[in-house]
Amino acid sequence: MQKMLVKPLQKLRNSLSEVNTMTEYALRMGDGQRIFMTKEQILTDLQEGMADAADLGTIPDLSGDELDKLVDIITTSSRMVGVEPGMEVPVTHDISTIRIDGDQGNSGVGIPSSRLVGMMMHERAFGADTMELGHIDYSYKPVKPIISQEQQTMEVCQQNMIVPLLYGAMPNMGLYYTPDGPFPNPGDLMKSFKIKEAQEAMEGAAEHLTRDIVWIMQRMMASGADGINFDTIGAAGDGDMFASLHAIEQLRKEFPDIYIETGMAGELMLGLHGEMEYDGTVLAGLWPHEQAPLAAKAGSNVFGPVVNTNTSKSFAWNLGRAVTFIKEAVKASTIPCHVNMGMGVGGIPMLETPTIDAVSRASKAMVEIAGVDGI
Amino acid sequence: MSKEEMFKELSDAIVSCKQDLVLAVIEKAKSEGIAAPEIIEKGLAAGMNEVGIMFERGKLFLPHVMMASGAMEAGVKMLEDDMPTDAPSDKLGVIVNGTVEGDVHDIGKSIVSTMLQSSGFEVHDIGRDVPLQDFIAKIKETDANMVGMSALMTTTMPGQKEIIEMLKEQGLREKVKVMVGGAPATQAWADKIGADCYAENASEAVAKAKELLV
Repeated sequence: MQKMLVKPLQKLRNSLSEVNTMTEYALRMGDGQRIFMTKEQILTDLQEGMADAADLGTIPDLSGDELDKLVDIITTSSRMVGVEPGMEVPVTHDISTIRIDGDQGNSGVGIPSSRLVGMMMHERAFGADTMELGHIDYSYKPVKPIISQEQQTMEVCQQNMIVPLLYGAMPNMGLYYTPDGPFPNPGDLMKSFKIKEAQEAMEGAAEHLTRDIVWIMQRMMASGADGINFDTIGAAGDGDMFASLHAIEQLRKEFPDIYIETGMAGELMLGLHGEMEYDGTVLAGLWPHEQAPLAAKAGSNVFGPVVNTNTSKSFAWNLGRAVTFIKEAVKASTIPCHVNMGMGVGGIPMLETPTIDAVSRASKAMVEIAGVDGI
Repeated sequence: MSKEEMFKELSDAIVSCKQDLVLAVIEKAKSEGIAAPEIIEKGLAAGMNEVGIMFERGKLFLPHVMMASGAMEAGVKMLEDDMPTDAPSDKLGVIVNGTVEGDVHDIGKSIVSTMLQSSGFEVHDIGRDVPLQDFIAKIKETDANMVGMSALMTTTMPGQKEIIEMLKEQGLREKVKVMVGGAPATQAWADKIGADCYAENASEAVAKAKELLV
């Protein structure tokens, strides 16, 4: 009897020791919470995230080699990682103008400084390859009444800086609806089943937004700006994208050498209007690989795709999903793709100050697997 | 054109939110002698199901859902006179049906009302965004033996529970059967708040109402 028990006990001891020695790696959830996962669990989450993107976007899966490489990147023991030599990409920075001066409410570090100082620190100390001048309100519409101040600041910055300096803000079409703007609020109209009226309000707002962006950039270009950064196109739905694409088209026509960076707000173009088209393509429901060709067609130099982070899923799940989407966007784009990487996008957890472990790993994956041209 | 092709055309017209086309296909279906309940179930409702799936997948958005609902509503209205009705003396029960306060969703509830009516129930559709007290008042006024409550949002679902409490307070709960429905509602929710049944769609609503009242 005793002899009969020896073998099963030995087996149990062996398997327990295997469990005890199974390596776990430190990761994060999409909300930043620290978690530990085995290599197998990481691979499973990567595959599930990838499958989600492939299913939603009707795009191909990553290859086995690419998944293996993602596992390697995630499980690297170093706290932070970097790209392989020779794979370095340009890095640009939005709103860095106030990143130094601003407090945590706008992702800053609260060190008193001017916008010029903030930008020069990014240019000369932090390695940013292009920069943008932006105002604390950071939407195009509120720039109108302070345009002279912005023009003067642009001139001073251009006299002190070397890297290409764009003017940047959010299209933010929501500012054109009541109570902030002249058009009735489509949200209220929809609730009353006034769909046509809601669509008309969005069409009117889009026209005003295009007009304002062009008006502002005419003045900023006269003050020496190298170009424009559209930050978070589509935040107010398909009308926001419609207006932005038309502004890009007009700016390209008026300023043939202008540098235009077209950054998106989210992975899916929300159809608040639902029927707006650009170049014969309905904007509602477009995924990053479908948005890229339209940005190029309108006249952009660089497309900035976005994939949102799911805070209830692991970093592995989010990264697998983000890389799958962005790889396809890079493939579909005829212009360089500079992926948006930061809090809550690109697989990075949603934290006000994103953690370096996640930021560096996600960035390396985007460059080496998705093939982005910049960040 | 076969019946199946006609249902497909009708369903596609709903998905593409083309109300004129919906009405034209219904006209064609009627002239072919297809029964109204079949047109609703296999054409209009099938189209709305597809709209729901596409909405979930980010292919269609709120304006599309609302326009498709509008087209379906117009289609159902066009078929109202063709729905089979039993003589009033044969009525299977009296039902008060409405969408609870704070919730403006109408279409699903209206389809349920139409289907219940065409199945032989006397239905009093009190509309959408109905103050909870109005449900009780209508039940008393019509001497109803069932109440149907729709809620399309998690924020308005508690209204269904409150009406059940009000029925208890007024001593009506034993006499009045309670049916709940709407996208966020489930059988578990119905059990939790003490409703008599949950119906996922209009056909199920008719079946459950017959089960409880006939």
